[in-house]
Amino acid sequence: MKAPTRRALAKQQTRAKVLAAARRLFSEAGYEGATIRDIAAAAGMSTGAVFANFSDKSDLFREIMLTDMAALGDAMSEAGARGTSVEDALLKIFMAGYGFYRTQLPLARAAFSVGWSPQDGPALRSAPPAQALHGLFRETLEKGVGKGEITGADLELRAHMLFETYLSNYPQAIFEGWTLEALETRSRDQIRVLLDGVRKA
Amino acid sequence: MSSTGRHLPADPAAEAPAVSAAVAPSARQTQKEATRRRVMAAARELFDTQGYQGATIREIARHAGVSVGSVFTTFASKYEILSQIMLDRLDGLYAELDRMTPHLRGPTVDRLRTMFAIHFAFEVRHKRLFLAYLAAAFDWTLPTTSMQMGRNRRLQAIIGDCLAKGVEQGDVDPAVDRQEAIDLLLGAYVWTYRLAAWHDADAQAMTEVMDRQIGLICSGFRPR
Repeated sequence: MKAPTRRALAKQQTRAKVLAAARRLFSEAGYEGATIRDIAAAAGMSTGAVFANFSDKSDLFREIMLTDMAALGDAMSEAGARGTSVEDALLKIFMAGYGFYRTQLPLARAAFSVGWSPQDGPALRSAPPAQALHGLFRETLEKGVGKGEITGADLELRAHMLFETYLSNYPQAIFEGWTLEALETRSRDQIRVLLDGVRKA
Repeated sequence: MSSTGRHLPADPAAEAPAVSAAVAPSARQTQKEATRRRVMAAARELFDTQGYQGATIREIARHAGVSVGSVFTTFASKYEILSQIMLDRLDGLYAELDRMTPHLRGPTVDRLRTMFAIHFAFEVRHKRLFLAYLAAAFDWTLPTTSMQMGRNRRLQAIIGDCLAKGVEQGDVDPAVDRQEAIDLLLGAYVWTYRLAAWHDADAQAMTEVMDRQIGLICSGFRPR
């Protein structure tokens, strides 16, 4: 019984090493620029060893993104729970996301690129952690309805738009170097506009 | 092919004498222009079928029947080819919009809806090309200054005019930050393409969703 355990452990370590190398290379060279060969070399192993653990590059990238998205989802949901009102909760959710990716914008950029690609996009977007991020916006609105702060008019659409607006600010952060303060000011206005029709006096 | 046809002079023969007048430089010029056109036609086809990542420079060169080297003497990068294709297409769209926007009447929300509906109807004809363009906006090889998604100046100007007219006619709050309003609408516009990318939606389906989004955003911008 000892042998398989040791083998399993070694396999786990190999995976972790590949993932760490891949994360670094995706951040430096983007999704298209990072090859499996480079990733293997950076991890100090053969391409064969990489392929023993991951079926292809998109599999590798997806694994990294899903790990991040799960952590991000926790951070956003905790931030949202501290909100004093539905607007404040949404703003805190936006900012938890921007804070999380602030130090790894290149990876966020790669994720957007892959997300729009016809080959690899669907698997990334339909993964449970991605769905959970999206769901967080709906749940936050539902909570606001429950507390009587807002009405539930167009709740599903509004949740979509909040999520999309949250995403649409990333290009400014990535390409124009917006600070967290600038993003916060912008986000606060956007949330106010998007909730205008449902806010109760 | 039909859209490139529209840009041709009505009578191509009429230009022939000018071309033959100064043989040496024009021949090279013509050659270069021909390469350019062939590369763009091949690239357009490949982006539309393979997406941005899938269409390699090597494949584009092969389809155009030119060397990889001559692709690079004509264009600096893959993204530049795609950018040029999109710009050429948009010329037609904006000429159409410039003609009709002055005649648009009615509430701002309706004018915006009409304007975006025209965009969807136009882009959906080559949906994969447009999606390739969105994916390309995050291309790693680009200098960050070349970011174009949602930064199309002509589209921004058209939306800006729509909103300015709204302030005049009293259904848009004058205190609204114009750029912020434009960005919010453009954000909604770009992300509405997710319906095409993930759910294979057509122009009508996208327009219906966009109409609701515009309604919601405009209600946030009405005068208090």
